[in-house]
Amino acid sequence: MATDIGTLDTFPKLLLHHAAVRGERPAIREKDLGIWQTWTWKQFADEVQILACALAEQGLGRGDHMALIGDNRPRIYAAMCAAQCLGAVPVPMYQDAAAAEMAFPIQNADIAHALAEDQEQVDKLLEILPQCPRLAHITYDDPRGLRHYAQPQLASYDRLREIGVEAQRREPGFIEREIAKGTGDDPAAMFFTSGTTATPKGVVLTHHALIDRARAAAEMEGLSDSDVVLAYLPPAWIGQNIFSYAQPFATGYCICCPESAETVMTDMREIGPSYYFAPPRVLEALLTQVSIRMEDAGRVKRAMYLYFMDVAQRVGGAILDRKKVGVGDRLRYALGDVLVYGPLRNVLGMSRVRVAYTAGEAIGPDLFKFYRSLGINLKQLYGSTETSVFVCVQPNGQVKPDTVGPAVPGVELKFTPQRELLIRSPGLFKEYYKNPQATAEAKDREGWFHTGDAGYFDGDGHLKIIDRVKDVGKLNDGTLFAPKYLENKLKFFPYVKEAVTFGDGRDRVCAFINIDMEAVGNWAEKRSLAYTGYIDLASRDDVGELVGQCVERVNADLAQDPELAGSQIHRFLVLHKELDADDGELTRTRKVRRGFIGERYAPLVKALYAGEASVHVEAQVKYEDGRSGSISADLKIRDAKTFAPAAAKRAA
Amino acid sequence: MKRHLPIIILIAALLAGLAAPLATGASAPGFFVEVLLGGLMAGVLYSLVALGFVLIFKASGVFNFAQGAMVLFAALSVARMAEVMPLWVAALLGVGIMVLLAIVVERVVLRPLVNQEGVVLLMATLGVSYFLDGFGQSVWGSDIYEINLGLSKAPVLILRNVFQGGILINKDDVAAAVVAVLLVVALALFFQKTATGRALRAVADDHQAAQSVGIPLNRIWVIVWSVAGVVAVVAGMMWGSKLGVQFSISQVALKALPVVILGGFTSIPGAIIGGLIIGVGEKMAEVFLGPVMVRTFDLAGGGIENWFAYVLALLFLLVRPEGLFGERIIDRV
Amino acid sequence: MSAQPQAQEMIAQGRRIGEVLLSVEEVSLSFGGVNALTDVSFEVREHEIRAIIGPNGAGKSSMLNVINGVYHPQKGTIRFLGQPRHDVDTHEAAAQGIARTFQNLALFKGMNVLDNIMTGRNLRMKAGLLAQAIRFGRAEREELEHRAVVERIIDFLEIQAYRKTPVGRLPYGLQKRVDLGRALAMEPRLLLLDEPMAGMNVEEKQDMCRFVLDVNDQFGTTIVLIEHDMGVVMDISDRVIVLDYGKKIGDGTPDEVRGTQAVIDAYLGVSH
Repeated sequence: MATDIGTLDTFPKLLLHHAAVRGERPAIREKDLGIWQTWTWKQFADEVQILACALAEQGLGRGDHMALIGDNRPRIYAAMCAAQCLGAVPVPMYQDAAAAEMAFPIQNADIAHALAEDQEQVDKLLEILPQCPRLAHITYDDPRGLRHYAQPQLASYDRLREIGVEAQRREPGFIEREIAKGTGDDPAAMFFTSGTTATPKGVVLTHHALIDRARAAAEMEGLSDSDVVLAYLPPAWIGQNIFSYAQPFATGYCICCPESAETVMTDMREIGPSYYFAPPRVLEALLTQVSIRMEDAGRVKRAMYLYFMDVAQRVGGAILDRKKVGVGDRLRYALGDVLVYGPLRNVLGMSRVRVAYTAGEAIGPDLFKFYRSLGINLKQLYGSTETSVFVCVQPNGQVKPDTVGPAVPGVELKFTPQRELLIRSPGLFKEYYKNPQATAEAKDREGWFHTGDAGYFDGDGHLKIIDRVKDVGKLNDGTLFAPKYLENKLKFFPYVKEAVTFGDGRDRVCAFINIDMEAVGNWAEKRSLAYTGYIDLASRDDVGELVGQCVERVNADLAQDPELAGSQIHRFLVLHKELDADDGELTRTRKVRRGFIGERYAPLVKALYAGEASVHVEAQVKYEDGRSGSISADLKIRDAKTFAPAAAKRAA
Repeated sequence: MKRHLPIIILIAALLAGLAAPLATGASAPGFFVEVLLGGLMAGVLYSLVALGFVLIFKASGVFNFAQGAMVLFAALSVARMAEVMPLWVAALLGVGIMVLLAIVVERVVLRPLVNQEGVVLLMATLGVSYFLDGFGQSVWGSDIYEINLGLSKAPVLILRNVFQGGILINKDDVAAAVVAVLLVVALALFFQKTATGRALRAVADDHQAAQSVGIPLNRIWVIVWSVAGVVAVVAGMMWGSKLGVQFSISQVALKALPVVILGGFTSIPGAIIGGLIIGVGEKMAEVFLGPVMVRTFDLAGGGIENWFAYVLALLFLLVRPEGLFGERIIDRV
Repeated sequence: MSAQPQAQEMIAQGRRIGEVLLSVEEVSLSFGGVNALTDVSFEVREHEIRAIIGPNGAGKSSMLNVINGVYHPQKGTIRFLGQPRHDVDTHEAAAQGIARTFQNLALFKGMNVLDNIMTGRNLRMKAGLLAQAIRFGRAEREELEHRAVVERIIDFLEIQAYRKTPVGRLPYGLQKRVDLGRALAMEPRLLLLDEPMAGMNVEEKQDMCRFVLDVNDQFGTTIVLIEHDMGVVMDISDRVIVLDYGKKIGDGTPDEVRGTQAVIDAYLGVSH
């Protein structure tokens, strides 16, 4: 299974390689005091070695762990590599984690060394110090506000550097020897998965796994040392680590650290990255910004934008995929490129983007199409911490909105009868740290990783993920029922805020819908529909029809998919109240609690399946001011149009 | 949109008036362009004077009624000194005199009157205006003097291929336009790119805050009045070379008043565009509207040039008191 | 939270309160017969944070304006750095090292954030007008040096994202920060803050508190501030002056002031 990654099988070895081969090329940039400061590969390597000497002096050794807490900063990445030089394992942590959340990883991995970005992080570490007595060395990057801190554990980065310079002078060649001792099978980093339900698990990844996957994807996309990446997502997240550490080390490209979280947009425009990653929520936020600007723009500008975005929606994706497009449309698109798309790409900082990825959650087809139609090569990928990210990637020219592409070279995929996706890949994790039981549950004896995700291959062999296996059910006729997939499809419409679908062990699929107060409110205002509040708006016939259209479009879409055509939504109702985490209907991360809702609104579910035209509800509600009261209403139940499955049609 | 409707109608009417002679065939294209260019050239000179107004108003909130008199005084000084020395030396000395004047005005007028009502300062500049008119005559005499820029006065015929009969154009008019453009660019750079320019803008925005960061108002006043003085030297030389240096210059310079009403009291681009609109408008009206008045209404038809600018300014005051580019609120004057 | 109080104590220990920087001696100020200040005396020591509190119309802003040279008191002496000053103007006070922020923002609306803060460097610019005009050698170099100082302030106040934004477009809390930045750019000995937290929400207030404390701690700047929010005043000031109807009715540490009966009657007892 192990592929050969050559003699440069650890990150420190790669670093020395780049320092020798492309020593004067930029490795990492950071905007500081308004100016982009650059570390070349040579400077980066020097810094790492000094730091490594210092850490060794502080007792960091083979197999130890070191916590890294902070935003994307050159020094955080330098410390990461310095720890690896010594055979220690860096453990990046989320900078927005609460102090209490940091205690577990630090205790779990017996961490004695930490690099914290600033006062905020230092305060958190000091707070948990009593629970983590082993934590003996806390280094901080930004000294602001820390001048009067006198804890013996604390030292500034500059102080650490002094120690390093001194140690290196005393024992030159020490670090080279340490680096040579490392092998690809050593653990390279540990990432703690967010434990919303259980205690977090430390995912141990080896140098080999990370380097192999970083290379496979880099080769596939033709990345080189002339590429540029903006590092703006948390370094503790495996994706950011791949794009701003593993892949630059694999290919020699340069990463840029923004000045602050608020300046990301500006910095991105200045840098012009060629390789880009954004989760759907970031893409959504960017689109919202563009839309707002267009709303504010003058009439001519807005008309131009609408016209050319229409052209782009029609032919932009096809042009990007090098498909056949008529001359007229090509000309229109070219004009649009000069007048609208080009300037827009520039505003977004995406003028030079060659490859852009999105992943993490389902992306709405309209959102996805928006970027592609602008000529930005946005693609989806599938992966996780346990798989070093790259499992599936959409190859250029084969991009679809609802799949994540075929397997990346080196990866094997298969499904259990329950449709759970199993993965075997050189990028798989070594283990969950100090948790053999969990490791055994996730990775079987033949080396297959059980993802817990349910899906299947579409006609072109692209992977389609529909839901978590535990949530997938079956209709009575045996049709696959993937509630989250259906709910997501509904939620991609701006008018739908939440959706809950029922169908497991039943004959048909039915749904509860929560309308989005703001979007539907705007829609109503444009039509001069007066309404008094949420309940009033939700009970309007016009709104019911609006939602009905959304449901029908989802059905039409589902009909195209032979696997899911049977799970079209037959009946739905618009709920009289907004689902709320305070009422236990949503989790704190705003995921619907289907079972709870099904029980709580059992009469409504019954009415849906009994074929009734309306149902009376009386419910206790909590108002925003804390008072509670009761409401009563008649909810209309509507039938939605369903469509004949496309596959059946084709067969006929 | 609603707010802008009157101004849109006004601008549309102006454009229609501009196009009318051509559209009705009342004028040959060549002659039309000639009149248009003539108007633009005159407009450039109005713009220069208006620029002086705007600079001072922006930086000190003072409506400088004396700007016209400063132009005349500068022109007189240069003209008389040029009789005994080369013109460029006279011009430089003229600049020196205007800076001196700025210092005196700040010392004697502005500083004692600081924090007084706007109307008090307006009266003060009115005083300065009459003083300069008289003082200029006392020192330099009251004849008509010449400024010779060394450019031939003979008009040149251009664009003979495009228009029948070509277009007549004056070399010194072209020179004036070029100089004016250069001056405007230089001023814009000075304001935007230098520390002093930044301080000037700061004072224009908020006196108190500017002082609190250590910008001395007095110095800033001297600087803006000096800059306005330099502009006056340039404008004076241009007018002087065109019309001869005489008392009427200060009257012509008063046209800057309607110009700033049009363009907005606080806007440098406004001063320039306002000047051009008035320059072109009154020439066009004089040449083309005059004959119409004679033919149709049997009026004398002359003198439109004298009142056109003021009527236009009045219309602007009615529909858009802040001018084309000015800030919406003007609390002084 | 265990680390927090510890850190606070250390700050208090680490800061050395120094000699008298400013002393106000029996100052009286009146406008057309109405007394705004009557025989007010107090002193401000180097490196301390000194608050002036009092009900509306107590003369707090007048006091600040006297120190800052906007008003000239009819009676009394003000010594800055031991030297008595007579009728200094605002810009002269600025030149002596006194900077201020404004209760109602007085930013230069037509400029962006960077230019606004750059105006604070005005006093330190030495290049002549002509050199500036042609951006000649020294002027260019100077501009860059000052820009570097301003960049540090921008970094300090965490407003990197708004360098080129016209100040008028910023939310109120950020405009307040720019106002502070402009004053800091003067590298003042004495910083006067006129209700720095007025109109802010809780989070903005916390941010501003942190900046004020950091300014005092890192640059050693002496601060005199007027503030309505009693919680803020008691938290961050070393000593507090209480004014009522233009007269000083209390002076001391926050705890001392809190205990004075006259103060309780005049101010603390009155709910706002």
